[in-house]
Amino acid sequence: MKVNINGQDYEQELDPDMPVLWVLRDVLGLTATKYGCGIGQCGACTVLVDGQAMRSCTTKVRFVEDKQVQTIEGVSREFLHPVQKAWIDEQVPQCGYCQSGQIMSAIALLNENPEPTDGEIKSFMSGNICRCGTYPRIIKAIRKAAQND
Amino acid sequence: MLTRRKFVQLTGVAGGGLVIGIGLLESCEQQKKPPKNPLPNTQNGFGDNNGSAIGEYLQIRPDGQVFINIVKHEMGQGIASGLMAIVAEELDADWDRVHVVYSDPIPGLANWAGGSTSTLNEWGIMRSAGALARKLLIQAAAKGWAVDKEDCFTDNNHVHLKDSENKVEYGELVDKIVFDPSESEVTELKDKKQFKLVGKVFSNKIIPDIVLGKHPYALDIRLPEMKYAAIERAPVFGGRLVDFEATEALQLPGVEQVVPIKGFVLDGSSHIRDGVAVIANSTWTAFQARKKLKITWEAGEKSNIVHERFLEEAHQRLREEDGYVAYSKGDVDTYPDAEKTISHTYEFPYQHHACMEPLNATAIFMEDRCEVWTGTQAANYMLGNIEKHLGVPKENIKLHCHPSGGGFGLRYWASHGMEALLVSKAAGGQLVKMVYSREDDIQFDFLNPLEINTHTMGFKEGDPVTWQLKGALDNWGGLCAWMIYDVPNVHAELIGLKGFTQMSAWRSVMANAEGFSTECFIDEVAVELGEDPLEFRLGLLPEGTEVQLNHKYPCKIDRIRKALKTVAQKGNWGRPMEEGSGQGIAVYPYMHGNGYAAAIAEVSIESGQVKVDKIFVAIECGLVINPDFVKKQMEGGVIWALSALFYGGTEYDKGKVTRSNFHDNKVLRIHETPEIEVYVCESDEEQPWGVGEIAPPVTYPAVCNAIFAATGKRIRKLPISTV
Repeated sequence: MKVNINGQDYEQELDPDMPVLWVLRDVLGLTATKYGCGIGQCGACTVLVDGQAMRSCTTKVRFVEDKQVQTIEGVSREFLHPVQKAWIDEQVPQCGYCQSGQIMSAIALLNENPEPTDGEIKSFMSGNICRCGTYPRIIKAIRKAAQND
Repeated sequence: MLTRRKFVQLTGVAGGGLVIGIGLLESCEQQKKPPKNPLPNTQNGFGDNNGSAIGEYLQIRPDGQVFINIVKHEMGQGIASGLMAIVAEELDADWDRVHVVYSDPIPGLANWAGGSTSTLNEWGIMRSAGALARKLLIQAAAKGWAVDKEDCFTDNNHVHLKDSENKVEYGELVDKIVFDPSESEVTELKDKKQFKLVGKVFSNKIIPDIVLGKHPYALDIRLPEMKYAAIERAPVFGGRLVDFEATEALQLPGVEQVVPIKGFVLDGSSHIRDGVAVIANSTWTAFQARKKLKITWEAGEKSNIVHERFLEEAHQRLREEDGYVAYSKGDVDTYPDAEKTISHTYEFPYQHHACMEPLNATAIFMEDRCEVWTGTQAANYMLGNIEKHLGVPKENIKLHCHPSGGGFGLRYWASHGMEALLVSKAAGGQLVKMVYSREDDIQFDFLNPLEINTHTMGFKEGDPVTWQLKGALDNWGGLCAWMIYDVPNVHAELIGLKGFTQMSAWRSVMANAEGFSTECFIDEVAVELGEDPLEFRLGLLPEGTEVQLNHKYPCKIDRIRKALKTVAQKGNWGRPMEEGSGQGIAVYPYMHGNGYAAAIAEVSIESGQVKVDKIFVAIECGLVINPDFVKKQMEGGVIWALSALFYGGTEYDKGKVTRSNFHDNKVLRIHETPEIEVYVCESDEEQPWGVGEIAPPVTYPAVCNAIFAATGKRIRKLPISTV
């Protein structure tokens, strides 16, 4: 199978039913995308598929064969993405484990809605769980990234 | 359009002069483009060994970069940056050139992280490490300049010569340092008025790693020849593996071995269950193959426990039995004739940890030696358990400590590291990464204990004269009995219960249940006596007093009062609330870390549904290392408690936990999160106290007391569904 991750083609023998999450983590070694629940409940595994937020733990790899997958490793090559910058400015992460997924969801939100209201931020981000309780700062950081974008 | 000022501001944060210069040029030419934010430096994670090591804590390299060994487990509480700042302060290091090294266990150093004690325990030694290094650098510079060391001073990674332009960078001195162990005593520490970093808001060092996806969690480790393992465990604690059949599992492509694991109890809080481990070429394959195993279990006696009956018995024992005396002051029996008594019982349920990074460990077992990569809150404890149960002497165990995606008490225990070793051993020394699925994480959790508290207060001539707490607690830990109110005769007793599985530490431990019960009770008493809940509390907290609570530190009532009065003022206590809304207040000490908090909650009720609108919280935690880190811990602690308030508890059927993942073990989500305002009190204390576990114990009662104010209904049992 051929998959395109962060602009790079990977040619690999793969079980087409394997979720994208495990292809990224265990086959390709792109471990910044996290396993949190395996059933699309927590959002830790969020990646962009053709610009849309997808839960990679429930997305079979055959579904992304002709699509562009972006993970947090592909978000900033030379420069920090404004969302990542806002995450640092607002000092959002605590343990950080859910934050790859939070950032990917926030990028997807701002791609489709560059000036979200607080209600829209909360609604879009409600699929991403954080156990450390960084939600208030996630809201602040998304507001800030929206202003600076 | 980007203004010049804004642009400088944006790039100046992470960049040096050159970056700002380039940025300005770009901003003139292409003003409409978004700013290009330079990539931040990341932590190396694990340091190498050139440069000059000063003791076990600190290394300064020839390029002036300072590496600091963090012996406490970084699990999101910010401990790495907090401790590094303490060293950097005394060292006068350039904060931008300070880096974390996640330390492997150092024999003799108590490197467990818990009880909100990491900062207060390391404060002294981290200061000394920084001050010692600074002294050695000054000596080396003075020798080079052939001057008296009194003529030198330090600032921003340099030693300066007084009254001259001469200065030398720390890195240039590292090969000139002479370390005479007889001079290792540090006498000169800074006065806190001289602090430039400690007490200020500074950035957390690990955050750039996290936002770039480079933070080195154990779950992300990849080693040559490594395979992936998942374990199908006995569904009931104490259950036994009778037989298994793995033909179908072994037929799945990628599955390499299926091996049995024999379980055992490790300590009062943790165990390894009998299990069958699948070893495969990916985590997913191992998870899939588990479903194809055919296993016969012997359920064991814990399968006979029925929760309703267990609870009924617990309440009966609480009413009828005498317990173990946990705390006593005066003599409650001298007032058998109290003219009035008020008594209520409160129930705090089991709670799941649900750390975002599920338990995992990578391990290889080689008979006389072994190696483990994992996240642990108690590395030396894990080493001791490996030695004891697997027979590998400590000196032959290499334990690589990684930062974790949450710990919350679950990562104290040694079971995850040992399970990985047992799988490796059973698989003939195969290097394996053993991963808990989320379902494993929920179902085999060492839970927060269920705790039932009965508070009884007796009165004479309107004043409280006796206060009794009787607690029934499920199989781990003791009563806190942090009974701070000034009642002359106080008594606390504990009855131990034996529930369906083992219980363990869960953020704020027993202070969760007892903060909830104590502060709901005192609120009920105030209202029943017709007094204002704030004034009633303050009246029972006399200024200038201390309370001894059978604990290492006395509880200073003035610090408690400060937190309570701060929150009352900032939270506008007593402001008129709309119909269907209410305010609630609470205060509680967390004596393990000697940090105190008070909270005000504002709630509103719509069609029986409770909505928490706002939480104000004040903390008195002594000398503050970084007020923003304190705020984050308070925000997180409030949200932690709200998850437990609304979604906590667990259910089990024939000894097996029936919750399995985030759909049925719910936690608070962003749209349910109230506005949270945190106030960090100015403190006269000379040292830092605990922070991480201070907020939850006051959050439950503040919310429940607010629900009473809104509805007239008392909450005495969690979780809350509808009111």
